[in-house]
Amino acid sequence: MKRWFLIFLSALVLAASTAVRAETDAEVQARKDALDIAGAFSNDGFKIRDGHWCGVIKPHEHALVAVNLYAGNQYWFSAAAAAEPSKIGVSVYDETGKQVTTESYNDGEKAAAGFSPVNSGQYFVSVDLVEGDGGSFCLVYSYK
Amino acid sequence: MLTLGTVVFAASGATDTGRLPADQLAKAARSDSISIPTPGELFAALGKSEKTNWSGQYRGPMPVTYSNRAQIALNLGGLIADGFIAVEAKDSQQVKNIGSDIIKLAKALGVSEHLLGRGKSINEFAENSEWDTLQEELEATQNEVKASMQSHADQDLVILVTLGGWIRGTQVVTAAIMQNYDERSAKVLRQPALVHFMQSKINEVSPELRQEPLVKDVSEQLNGIEKLISFPAGKTPAADDVRKVNEAVGKVMIKIESKEMPK
Repeated sequence: MKRWFLIFLSALVLAASTAVRAETDAEVQARKDALDIAGAFSNDGFKIRDGHWCGVIKPHEHALVAVNLYAGNQYWFSAAAAAEPSKIGVSVYDETGKQVTTESYNDGEKAAAGFSPVNSGQYFVSVDLVEGDGGSFCLVYSYK
Repeated sequence: MLTLGTVVFAASGATDTGRLPADQLAKAARSDSISIPTPGELFAALGKSEKTNWSGQYRGPMPVTYSNRAQIALNLGGLIADGFIAVEAKDSQQVKNIGSDIIKLAKALGVSEHLLGRGKSINEFAENSEWDTLQEELEATQNEVKASMQSHADQDLVILVTLGGWIRGTQVVTAAIMQNYDERSAKVLRQPALVHFMQSKINEVSPELRQEPLVKDVSEQLNGIEKLISFPAGKTPAADDVRKVNEAVGKVMIKIESKEMPK
């Protein structure tokens, strides 16, 4: 229920906005899929951010975004790629670039990484195209 | 909310030891909608560490009759943070009061059309004590205000809404930690990259807006705040560090709330 409410809100904001760059249908689909994964974590009390990061990723590339996190919270970063068949991965790095240990979920074109930062500050989330021809992807995150 | 260009790197950029080089970190995408946490995220981290007296963090009714658009944007962000505080306090009436003020301030910026529905939703969720949904609604309201600003060529004001929310959120969190200091809570204050990012966004706004006395003042004080919250990784801010941050953001809040504009 809550997941659909969020999807509806996201669509509403999307419609009301003039985006810096208009989202493609593939990105909208990837976003829905990413929200679908995040929705599963909401059953454990995770709140989904009403924000997302979409783009295009090519073979053997990864996309990197900076986030600012708080010690004491738990986070899940959920991503989905629109193109099938493909396999993506999500990984997290600290502010020095060192990869942090995360719990992982991988299901082909969907993936997620979860962890609890010991220190507050900046982290980097990487969406990696492990297999496939590439295409649009979208990342959302949730916290509790 | 809005998307930015995607920064992609060759996958081989990550070394075998699982470390990304500094040049890749520097080029990572950063966006308002995902790189800047909401006040709700900050309060969630604080709420785990201690029993916070959220209602003790309320402030008195604030004017909703500002005429300066930059000041309205900063106060709107602060007001949205107040909404998150009221949700943490599970205070229906306070949520409704703040929701009403948010709509009034948004109206003053000419972004109220889509928001009238939001005001009604906030009231309904508050009456039904749907606290989780209210958090989502507040965040969605904030994002809708920003989206509306962008579509009205007011994109320069967006960062001021974000900044206003962060300053008010930090004021509340530091005040709460000062009342009941513990190391786990104090750790949430370390956010140098976040303040640096907001400062860089302010530097990108139009020269006219940047030269407005209030914006100039807030921007200058933000430099000092960035230094105050730049604790080394692993170092827990001491009680005195928390007090200094509280004083610094408190001074900025006074300027933001003041009906007399700085000259």
